[in-house]
Amino acid sequence: MSENTTKTPMLEVKQLSISFGGLKAVDGLNMTIDKGQLYGLIGPNGAGKTTVFNMLTGVYKPTSGSIILDGENITGKAPAQINCCGVARTFQNIRLFSNMSVLDNVKVGLHNQMKYSVIEGALRLPRYFKAEREMNSRAEELLKVFELEGEKEQLASNLPYGKQRKLEIARALATNPKLLLLDEPAAGMNPNETASLMDTIRFVRDNFDMTILLIEHDMKLVSGICEEITVLNFGQELAQGVTSEVLQNPAVVTAYLGE
Amino acid sequence: MRKATKNNLITCGIVLVFFIVCGILSSVGIMGSKLSGLLIPIGIYTIMSISLNLTVGILGELSLGHAGFMCVGAYVGGVFSILAQDTITVPWIRIVIAIVLGAIAAAVFGLIIGIPALRLRGDYLAIVTLGFGEIIKSLANNIYIVKDINGIHFSFASPVTGTDAATTQDIFKGAQGIKAPQDTTLLLVVIVLMISLIVIMNIVDSNTGRACMAIRDNYIAAESMGINVTKFRLIAFVISAAIAGAAGVLYSHSLAVLAPKKFDYNFSILILVFVVLGGLGSMRGSIIATIILYALPELFRGLGDYRMLIYAIVLIFMMIFNNAPYFVALRQRIAALPIFDKFKKKKPEAAGGASK
Repeated sequence: MSENTTKTPMLEVKQLSISFGGLKAVDGLNMTIDKGQLYGLIGPNGAGKTTVFNMLTGVYKPTSGSIILDGENITGKAPAQINCCGVARTFQNIRLFSNMSVLDNVKVGLHNQMKYSVIEGALRLPRYFKAEREMNSRAEELLKVFELEGEKEQLASNLPYGKQRKLEIARALATNPKLLLLDEPAAGMNPNETASLMDTIRFVRDNFDMTILLIEHDMKLVSGICEEITVLNFGQELAQGVTSEVLQNPAVVTAYLGE
Repeated sequence: MRKATKNNLITCGIVLVFFIVCGILSSVGIMGSKLSGLLIPIGIYTIMSISLNLTVGILGELSLGHAGFMCVGAYVGGVFSILAQDTITVPWIRIVIAIVLGAIAAAVFGLIIGIPALRLRGDYLAIVTLGFGEIIKSLANNIYIVKDINGIHFSFASPVTGTDAATTQDIFKGAQGIKAPQDTTLLLVVIVLMISLIVIMNIVDSNTGRACMAIRDNYIAAESMGINVTKFRLIAFVISAAIAGAAGVLYSHSLAVLAPKKFDYNFSILILVFVVLGGLGSMRGSIIATIILYALPELFRGLGDYRMLIYAIVLIFMMIFNNAPYFVALRQRIAALPIFDKFKKKKPEAAGGASK
């Protein structure tokens, strides 16, 4: 946190709301994430955390409110456009391109960085080779970071669970985002895997100069790496602030553990 | 060499070897005229099945009206050739232009169908293409075009007669179809097949193909990777339609008469059967399935009424062979036999790891 904090925040969410029929899934959420921050979004099941992610990435259009990414209003844009603006995500239930190789999964992420036309691809014009070479080396670099380079020819669906999670992060990073959204990255992981994941997330933040917003249920991970958090309950903000303080908040403890 | 490139070269090699060997056999006279006559349709059907595989196997959208695009190409190219018969006398120039025109016409139809249908998910495309195939067939059934000294006359309702009876020449006679000049040669079919195959395989192994497969595997994730889903679905669909159109031109120029009823629902399904049994997304599979499944019923003609029975048994067997867990395991075991080791010198460890 240096002079970056004084500039425009990476993400500014104002009065974000969405309702499905009569149900207000998210109601008046405000959130500000600074550049380079590791921010957590937590809350009990059904609190609306993934819905927030879906609004941030354009899968759902918010009923009201606004989303400002690095000074640019991205509210209501289509998912592909929002990705091009600089938001990438992973999914709670892993959504890899399961019948494609590990390398190709990452190359799909690089799709918009090294463009060439259909005709250049079909006729194998020089631009194709140049772009493909560049893509391959970039993709392999990313895979090396996540220790996946040994499996690059394998189908994504054949990877063990923990590596699939890593591949999802690598693929998201390939789109060269400013803001990375991780939806329950530690779900289904054992303590050792979680610990290595925490290192990975920190590494990504430091080495890729990334701002990260993550949803997580694993409190050890949240308290271990998140600098600030927002707690959601029934679609509404319950608490917000520095992680250690918020987790002591009686209202938060009640929401998680009951009376 | 990259694995994908190597696989593609093998596929091209299979096609070339098959047609060269068959071509030599038939020119030497070892292969009967009946079998030699099958080569051109086999080539055309192969073009159809690889182009449909682009839509069904790579893009993952079910298209039930592929014959409709072939029909558009066949008649646009055919009508052009009949009209140009007197002005362009060199057959190969005429048919090359006809192929280009047929492919463009089919691509335009693909675009018209694709723009509304591809915005939707699920079974809509299957229903729309099914309807499209039938509409094109019915439309062709009711087109009448004649040419005479005063120009071209056409009608969508009833047979037309030219104003000058002496010079009237039928071009399109409704349900009786067209009589295009028989310009299609085996060499031309093989050239078009190779071009289509290379273009399709290059596209699959490029940005566009990866985008399409990403959309097929996970629509939401593809969108969140910044892929313009509608655009890439449309591109693949239009390319597939254009190649089917080119196949149609070859088809109409290989038959003495081509009636619209040929392009019915069953034709589309037949191509789909080739694609599904050959393996979705596998161009080599489509090619082999087309060759076997097209040639078999003809080879079994001697069996009379039993031939379709045997054909059905072959279909069922291929389906089981491709998908039943026992056969999949059996194939893997056969592939793992020591005698095959010399074919896969590279990375025996990686192969072992994959099978675990």
